[in-house]
Amino acid sequence: MRLRHLWLVDFRNFPSVELEPAPGLTALVGANGEGKTNLLEAVAYLATLSSFRGAPGEALVRAGADRAVVRAELDPQGEGRGSTALVEAELHPAGRDRVLVNRQPLRRASDLAGTARVSVFSPDDLALVKGGPVHRRRLVDDLLVASSPRLAAVQADLERVLRQRGTLLRQAGGRLGADVATTLDVWDAKMSELGDALGQARASLVDQLEPLVAKVYDQVAATAAHVALTYHAPWRVGGLAHALAAARTEDLRRGVTTVGPHRDDVAFAIAGLAARTHASQGEQRSLALALRLGGHQLVAEASGTPPMLLLDDVFSELDADRSAALLVHLPMAQAVLTTTGPVPGALAPELVVRVRDGRLEPG
Amino acid sequence: MYAGPVQDLIDELGRLPGVGPKSAQRIAFHLLKLPKEEAVRLARAVIEMKERVALCARCFNVAEGQECGICTDPRREHRVLCVVEEPRDVVAVEKTHEFRGRYHVLQGAISPIEGIGPDQLKVRELLARLEPEQISEVILCTNPNIEGEATAMYLARLLAPLGLRVTRIASGLPVGGDLEYADELTLGRALEGRREVGA
Ligand SMILES: [Zn+2]
Repeated sequence: MRLRHLWLVDFRNFPSVELEPAPGLTALVGANGEGKTNLLEAVAYLATLSSFRGAPGEALVRAGADRAVVRAELDPQGEGRGSTALVEAELHPAGRDRVLVNRQPLRRASDLAGTARVSVFSPDDLALVKGGPVHRRRLVDDLLVASSPRLAAVQADLERVLRQRGTLLRQAGGRLGADVATTLDVWDAKMSELGDALGQARASLVDQLEPLVAKVYDQVAATAAHVALTYHAPWRVGGLAHALAAARTEDLRRGVTTVGPHRDDVAFAIAGLAARTHASQGEQRSLALALRLGGHQLVAEASGTPPMLLLDDVFSELDADRSAALLVHLPMAQAVLTTTGPVPGALAPELVVRVRDGRLEPG
Repeated sequence: MYAGPVQDLIDELGRLPGVGPKSAQRIAFHLLKLPKEEAVRLARAVIEMKERVALCARCFNVAEGQECGICTDPRREHRVLCVVEEPRDVVAVEKTHEFRGRYHVLQGAISPIEGIGPDQLKVRELLARLEPEQISEVILCTNPNIEGEATAMYLARLLAPLGLRVTRIASGLPVGGDLEYADELTLGRALEGRREVGA
């Protein structure tokens, strides 16, 4: 995707601004709290209809305003390819957002996937390396959906089955009557079908992702560190149906589904050592960034068009050498980054914009 | 909280499906402002429906008498049953003009989250119809979402040992959707392309 023109009205701390980002790299410069990240959040909102910081809808509307507007003119297929799309989102503090694509109401959020797509890196992404498995599952699953959208239905169905199965287990109160057994059989069959499909997709995605992440890592850290990604899904050995049958007594006793894709993890190693426990803070930050950029490349290859790259406060995460190396090796895509200080290294951004108290000024 | 009768109405409205506390309040105050005749007309329509319409004693579709219009229609094939979740699904299947048999309305789908298991559905009543009505085929026409699929699978396993033909409507319907939102052509094709299901 290529963003041509962005307008914001009453979004976060912006009363009214517009921005025409460069085809390549744009830098948003300003002190903390001036609104740099809010601008990235607005662009990402157009792609996902949610805040990448996990903020609730009402937090996105400027205090005192009755609605926020995010409006963008963009080329879904990339620079000079296909036709330009106009995406308009109206956010209301009480919920019920309205989204128009080329002045036509959007039916489902997933319909946006073919129009606006972004890859976001933020300092919180350190959790990919240091946090719990849920962060890594989300990374893999988000990339799966971005590269083959039909998997969104599999994920949603699996989540639903897990909720139904969990409720049934709790309702059973540890006893396996004939009626519980037959309904449990049905949920197990559904869950196995969906889980095996998701496990297969995750495994092949991790295989594709590994060399991409390893390459970005080596470029940014200027080493040859052999980054390895290993998908952990012990239930896949004999298939999910078998694992669920084996765990049934335990599941009934505890009232939860103890095996399955919802417990999967991905382990990262740098030069043979577990990154979560053995890597330095600097290595972990570089790895988090490499995971996002590697994922970006994977989606770009799968879909034929690179998403727009949004890098929040990325230099605070890296030392001067790594920052400079990142800019040199930035993937081919339109990119917007935020920074509190000057942009390091020899490579100047095509456009520098200063963000000050909800206003934009030429940098 | 509001004065007695207003709050009572808000509470009652809030129990309706899809009506949250805010909507309940909005509807209640709308009714309060309405001319009396209009409000009474609404109340009458509710009472009228409850008095004159009930569920068909045989298939649990809506019926104005003891049995519904489809069950009492002698031109309908009586050995093929189409099992659906709700009366509105009967309407959806009827619109396709692809089905000439009778129905069995389960009154829902298996969903532990909503407290619905096989016992809360008209499953026993379905089994009880098979022999006396000499049913030869049961078409499982539950919604193409997780609960509908699970219900179809549950019934398929239950019916498998009984030696009749059990079929499931073909996939191709919008996934995760409801029958009532599928267009006639798509649903008609799904019925035509139904497949035998094993256990
Ligand atoms: Zn009937």
